[in-house]
Amino acid sequence: MDSREEAIYNKALAAMALMGFLSFLLLSIYRKPVSLVPFYGAITFLTIVFIGYFFTGWIFPNSDKFLFILAGFLAELGLIMLCRINPELFKRQVAFFAIGVGFFILSSILTKYFVRLDVAPFYFWAATAALLLLPLFFGVERGGAKNWLVFNGFTFQPSELAKITFVFYLASVLKEGKVNSIYRLGAGILAVTGLLALSKDLGGAMLFYFTALTVIFAATSRLDLAVGGILSAAVGGIISYNLFDHVRVRIEAWLNPWRDVPGRGYQIVQSLFSIAEGGYFGTGLGLGRPDFIPAVATDFIFSAFAEEFGFLGAAAVILMYFLLVYRGIRIALRLNENFLVLLALGHTVMFGMQIFTIIGGVIKLIPVTGVTLPFMSYGGSSMVMSFTSLGILNGLWQRALEGEDDDEA
Amino acid sequence: MKTMTKLKRNIRLVFMLFCGLFLSLLGYLTYFQVYERQKLIESSYNRRLWEQEESITRGTIYDVKGRVLAKTVEENGVKKRIYPEGEAFGPLLGYSSRKLGRANLEQALNGELLGISQQDPMMVLRQKVLGVSRGNDVYLTIDSELQKKAYNLFRGRRGALVALDPNTGAVLAMVSSPGYDSTAVEQKWDILSKDEESPLINRAVQGLYPPGSTFKIVTLAAALENIPDIEDKIYETPGYVEVSGRVIRDYEGFKPGKYDVKRALSMSSNSVFVKIGLEVGKERLFNKAEDFGFNEEIPFELPAAVSRFPRFSLMSDNVELAEASIGQGRILATPLQMAQVVSAVANGGRIMQPYIVQKVVTPLGEVKDFSRPVLLKEVIDVVTANKIRQYMVDVVENGTGKSARIRGIPVAGKTGSAENPHGKPHAWFVGFAPAYDPKIAVAVVVENAGSGGGNAGPIAREVMLHYLKSLQ
Repeated sequence: MDSREEAIYNKALAAMALMGFLSFLLLSIYRKPVSLVPFYGAITFLTIVFIGYFFTGWIFPNSDKFLFILAGFLAELGLIMLCRINPELFKRQVAFFAIGVGFFILSSILTKYFVRLDVAPFYFWAATAALLLLPLFFGVERGGAKNWLVFNGFTFQPSELAKITFVFYLASVLKEGKVNSIYRLGAGILAVTGLLALSKDLGGAMLFYFTALTVIFAATSRLDLAVGGILSAAVGGIISYNLFDHVRVRIEAWLNPWRDVPGRGYQIVQSLFSIAEGGYFGTGLGLGRPDFIPAVATDFIFSAFAEEFGFLGAAAVILMYFLLVYRGIRIALRLNENFLVLLALGHTVMFGMQIFTIIGGVIKLIPVTGVTLPFMSYGGSSMVMSFTSLGILNGLWQRALEGEDDDEA
Repeated sequence: MKTMTKLKRNIRLVFMLFCGLFLSLLGYLTYFQVYERQKLIESSYNRRLWEQEESITRGTIYDVKGRVLAKTVEENGVKKRIYPEGEAFGPLLGYSSRKLGRANLEQALNGELLGISQQDPMMVLRQKVLGVSRGNDVYLTIDSELQKKAYNLFRGRRGALVALDPNTGAVLAMVSSPGYDSTAVEQKWDILSKDEESPLINRAVQGLYPPGSTFKIVTLAAALENIPDIEDKIYETPGYVEVSGRVIRDYEGFKPGKYDVKRALSMSSNSVFVKIGLEVGKERLFNKAEDFGFNEEIPFELPAAVSRFPRFSLMSDNVELAEASIGQGRILATPLQMAQVVSAVANGGRIMQPYIVQKVVTPLGEVKDFSRPVLLKEVIDVVTANKIRQYMVDVVENGTGKSARIRGIPVAGKTGSAENPHGKPHAWFVGFAPAYDPKIAVAVVVENAGSGGGNAGPIAREVMLHYLKSLQ
């Protein structure tokens, strides 16, 4: 690694540490009575970041360090907001972060050494479907969607893991660059989206569907499939708008939240008030009222951030996510095996779509659908699985570099 | 390897797609900050406002001479909004209550009164650093004495009055009767909200009435501009006119005979003005009405109802045109709109944008001046305006408007008795004084009171007289 690159990484890490110390110090002082929870939390967090950073650097000298730095920075911003909103959630989220970093390293190693090319796509599909079926039978409903499993007090969202298996399914079924059976592929994807829609996870359904469309297009270059897919999504949307009440509620809350502010429009309107209050420079950490937004710790964390850090902070977060997507695309472009390329692309698209869906939702660019903002939203499943996906991308990066070494040799 | 290059090309396309998606996020967020933000901050649904109001003392509203119209006082640690000037100001000022929300000026000026509408971030920072917890004070153009005088002249009858300075557009009085005491609005809410006389509505901007004969000013303006020899024309009338089988009569006591247009206005002849209207034609009358501001929202601090003149393409036949020429049929106007019409005549054909906020003073003493007159549009030329002015003087001196005569001061005016489905005609009077150097223009409507000359004229007279005296 050349030293110039090293200096950039170090600067990024320093910025992150500085931001963390300042923010958590502010939060420590701001709380009455003065509490050291944020401060200890920050120390723990930064320790994990540095251990994770140097450990990955030690086992993979060629690791894509930007992935980890960006995710760590975003997680830090999420933690700052969580600490400000609810210190209890903050403590748990620090633990989730630690587990997430563990999974990042684990999945990097697994991807680098163990991802094989010859697993039949059916197994991945079956795993995805099984994961999505579980909550329908044994799940509990949270926030309008029945997609949670509970074991001994631990809750888990299988659809987060299903994102990974689903991307593996797409990559393996399309690795020959053509669609073997359009009916089987279509049925497979529709079954998965259908299961998500059944558990009322509309955001998830949209996410899986559009990720599938994008990957199919990239793999096959078939515009007819992409256009047909978008058209059928539109038709499906219109039908479900007329059939299902919960779909209608969301669309109406998007088109005209002002018609029913105390009811349907409440959440999105509170989110917009929050962003408006922030203005360009934000109210300042701890000085806004993001607690007015329901589900602010999970789906609406972006609005809370925009209120207290302003338009500039919000734009910075969007750009950081964009960089993450950019790194993912870069990895896909460096790989030389169809399956691995599609795997990298699939994870990147899944990330990108998810980020667009939820940020676009809370700023009312598109209807709100309950998906989490990777790395920032509160939630163990989301945090751990986002890091796992990121680990897969990192592992793929290792393979890309290996492949290049082989070519040179 | 060909599939691989294609794949890589597609991935670049996907990347472009994401560039687009993320750019649209940034773009929308920027749009939101620039265009939507202020509206949302001031929205009455925004709970932050209530939170802020707990810590910010709402600004005081003053009249033009610095008399307090609304202020917040603290009694035993509880903030209370009081309105010392009472019922005459209820429908204009509205109320600000945690339980009921806000209405009228308290609603419209909420951002200023809480001091949250200033855009300048340095200003906000200064206030934060200095620990200022007061909103801005607002000075209105209203004269409290005049407002109360005008309100009392209604003696509880339903109606409204708008008095403007025709040269600047400043609102001197804006009365809606019956009124209510804003201080007691929470206790009396059940009675007020169910009262059939609807005291909560500000009739001056929200009330839509057929303008009746006061609309003849518009018809006259169209005629003077479009019929070349109109001033020399003599119309002979038997006291009624028949249009496509519909008979439109002059009012009782009107003498049949020969009239020129000036005398027809003075005696408010329906039959003659129907004939004039038919000569002017649908399209010209419609265009003139729109020039004067019908079918268009009046830019004003308070949301004003849009006065309506039916589209000429939808006017089915001459009967409708005939009715429109005398302000009946489907024409509806707010008192503010009619005040605008008469101000245009007073001001040589120029309509000024009406305004009620004179200035805003921040707690740090910075003054934001809003009293710069803004020309809204020129609707008729000076020559036409002066002719109408002379005719309107004749209305008051020799015609139906004698009740508005003031000794020693020439007054221009026009009466109206608007037929309506709810009983006796609405009494209208619009006018200005002094006729040749106008200082005040008024529009008065008294619901179901009968003739305009008898019921609305005296109110207008007293208000004009009181104001002119106060200037001396």
